[in-house]
Amino acid sequence: MNVSQRGAGVRFALFTLAGLALFPFIFHAIDGYAGLATQIVIVSIASIGFNFLLGYTGLLSYGHAMFYGGGGYVAALLLIRLMPQHPNLWLAVIGATLAATILALLVGALAVRLYGIYFALLTLAFAQMIYFVVEQAQDWTNGDDGLQSIPAALLPIGPYSIDLGTALPPLALGPFGNLSDIKLWYIVSALALCGVMIGMRALTRSQFGEVLTAIRENEERSSLIGFNAAAYRLAAFAISGALTGFAGALRALYDGSVAVESVGIERSGSLVIYTIVGGVQTLLGPVLGTGLIMYLEAVLSAHISYWRLVEGVIFVAVIIFLPAGIVGTIAKRFSGRAKDRALLAKSVSTGSSK
Amino acid sequence: MVALSQALLNGLVLGLIYVAIAVGLTIVFGTLRLVNFAHGAFYAIGAYIGLVVAQNWGLGAAFIAAPIGVAIFAIILDRVLLRPFYGKDVTSQILVTFGIALIVEETLRLIFGATTQQYPALQGLATSVAIGPLVYPLYRLLFAAGVIAMLVLVWLFMERTDYGLIVRAGVRDRTMVQLLGGNIRQASTIVFAVGAAIAGLVGAAASPIYSIAPGTGFAFLVPSFVVVVVGGLGSFWGAVLGGLLIGELQSLTTLAFAPAANVIIYLCMALVLLLRPQGLLGESEVIRQ
Repeated sequence: MNVSQRGAGVRFALFTLAGLALFPFIFHAIDGYAGLATQIVIVSIASIGFNFLLGYTGLLSYGHAMFYGGGGYVAALLLIRLMPQHPNLWLAVIGATLAATILALLVGALAVRLYGIYFALLTLAFAQMIYFVVEQAQDWTNGDDGLQSIPAALLPIGPYSIDLGTALPPLALGPFGNLSDIKLWYIVSALALCGVMIGMRALTRSQFGEVLTAIRENEERSSLIGFNAAAYRLAAFAISGALTGFAGALRALYDGSVAVESVGIERSGSLVIYTIVGGVQTLLGPVLGTGLIMYLEAVLSAHISYWRLVEGVIFVAVIIFLPAGIVGTIAKRFSGRAKDRALLAKSVSTGSSK
Repeated sequence: MVALSQALLNGLVLGLIYVAIAVGLTIVFGTLRLVNFAHGAFYAIGAYIGLVVAQNWGLGAAFIAAPIGVAIFAIILDRVLLRPFYGKDVTSQILVTFGIALIVEETLRLIFGATTQQYPALQGLATSVAIGPLVYPLYRLLFAAGVIAMLVLVWLFMERTDYGLIVRAGVRDRTMVQLLGGNIRQASTIVFAVGAAIAGLVGAAASPIYSIAPGTGFAFLVPSFVVVVVGGLGSFWGAVLGGLLIGELQSLTTLAFAPAANVIIYLCMALVLLLRPQGLLGESEVIRQ
C-alpha cells in the first residue's frame, strides 16, 4: 500500500468518526432524537452486512431477518438464562455474533449453490422456518409477546464495568439539544459502526473483494482461473450474516427487548429497502438509506397513518428513477465528471504536445 | 377417521387456492421470465373488489367483477410499470414487484382499514352436507369444484390456444420462440392478465372461507412460491401437484402436530431445492435463471 492510499484510508476513518460524532446533534436540529440516532447507527450495521452480500456477490437474500432477529434472541437468551446476575455485554454480543455466523455457514452451505430467484426463495424459506420456530417455542421465546426486560448488560473494560445507559454530562447546545441526551450506548454503537465501515472499506478493496467481484461478473471464467466460487460466496454469506447478527444483538440489548417481528419477513424486506434506497455496492449507501427511511418513519408515522405506503412509493420510485440508489447516483455523477475532466486534461496535453 | 378425512378435505381446499395462485405465477414466468412478488396483490384486490360488489349486488356479481377488475389492473401494471423490467435481471424484478406489493397492501389498508373483514352471509350456501359420517360445509365443496373447473379451462387455454403454445415454448427456449416469429410480447400481456384474473377470482371466492385483511395476499403468496418451487417453476402440472402436496401437508401436520404446520412446508421446499432444484416436474434449463 502506498502513502497516498494510506492517507485516503486515514482520511476516510476521520471523516466517518467526525460524521458520527456530529450526527446526533444535527439530527436533534431536524426533529430526530438521540435514541433514534442510536437505533439508526445499529441497524446500519445490518444494512452494511446485507449490502455486502447483494453488492459483491449479486445474491439477493430475502431472509436476513433470521440473522438479525436470531442475533437478538441469542443475545437476550444468553443474558436471561446464563448470566442474570452478571450480565456481560461482550459475552452476549460475541455469543450472538458467533451463533449468527454458524447459522449463516449452515444455510449458506446449501444456498450458495443456487442463483437468482432460487437463492432468494431458499433464504426466505429458512427465515420463515426460523420465524415459526421462534414463534412456537414459547418456553424459550415467549412466542408472539417477545422477550421483554432483558437485563441491562454491563460492558467490562479492564477493572471497570460500564453501564451504557449512562448519559454524558449536561451541556446546552441550543438547537442541537444537550450533550446529556447522548448516552454511552450511542458512543459504543457509533464506534462499532465506524469499525465496520473501515473494515468493509478494506475488505472490498482487498484481493478477496476483487475475487468476489470477478465471480459476480463472470463465474465461469473465475472458476477456470482456479477460484472456488462457492467457497468465496459462502465466506461472503457468513460475513454478511455475522454483521447482521451482530447488529441484531446490539439492537436487542439497546432496546432491552426483542420482538418476534425481528425475525419476520418484514424485517428482511426493510433491510432490502434501506440498502436499495441508499445505494447498493456503495459504502455509505446502506447507512444513508437506513438513516433516511428510519428518520422519515419516525417523523411521518406520528402524523400520517399511511407511512408504509409512502415508504413503498419511495422504494419503487428509487428502483425506477435511481436504480443505483441515492449515494450510487451521486457517486456516478461525480466520477463521471472526474473522468470527463481527466479526459479533457489528457486531450489538452496531447493537443499541446503536437 | 372423521378427523382425518376432514383434514384431507381442508387440505384440498387450501391446496387448490395455492394451485390457483401458483398457476398464475408459473405461466407469467413462462412468458415473461418475470418473478412476480406482486402476484399476491391480485388475490387481495380480487378479494376486496368481491367484498364491495358482494355487499351491494350479491356474491354472483362479485365472482364476475373480481377477475375483470383485477385483469384490468394487471394490464395497466404491465403497460405502465413492469414493461421496462422484463428484460432485466431477476433481482430488479423481485425488487420492483415487492415494492408494488407493498404499495397495493398499504393502499388497501388505507381504503378498507387494517381489520379483518367478512363477506355478507351466504344465502342458501351456508349449510353443511353429510358425506357418510362426515359433515362438511357445502360452500367449501362448491369452491373446490369451481377451482377445479377453472383449472381445466386454464389447461385448455394452455394446450389449445396459440397463446398457450407460446407460453409452453417460451418456458423451454425463449429466444427460439422469438426467432421463429412468436409474438411473446403480445401473448405476454394476455397471459399476465389471465394469471392475474385467476388469482383475483380465487381471492373473491376464497374470502368467505378464509376472510380477508390487507396482508392476506402476501400471506398466501409466500406459500404459493413454495408450491411453485416444489412443483417446478414454469410447469402447469408442477403447480397443480405442488399445490395439492403443500396444502395436504400443511393440513395433515395441523392435525398431527399443529405447531409444526408452518415450519414443515418450508422444510419441504428447502429439501426440494437442494435435492431437485428444478422442482418435481420442472424443466432443468430454467434453474439458472
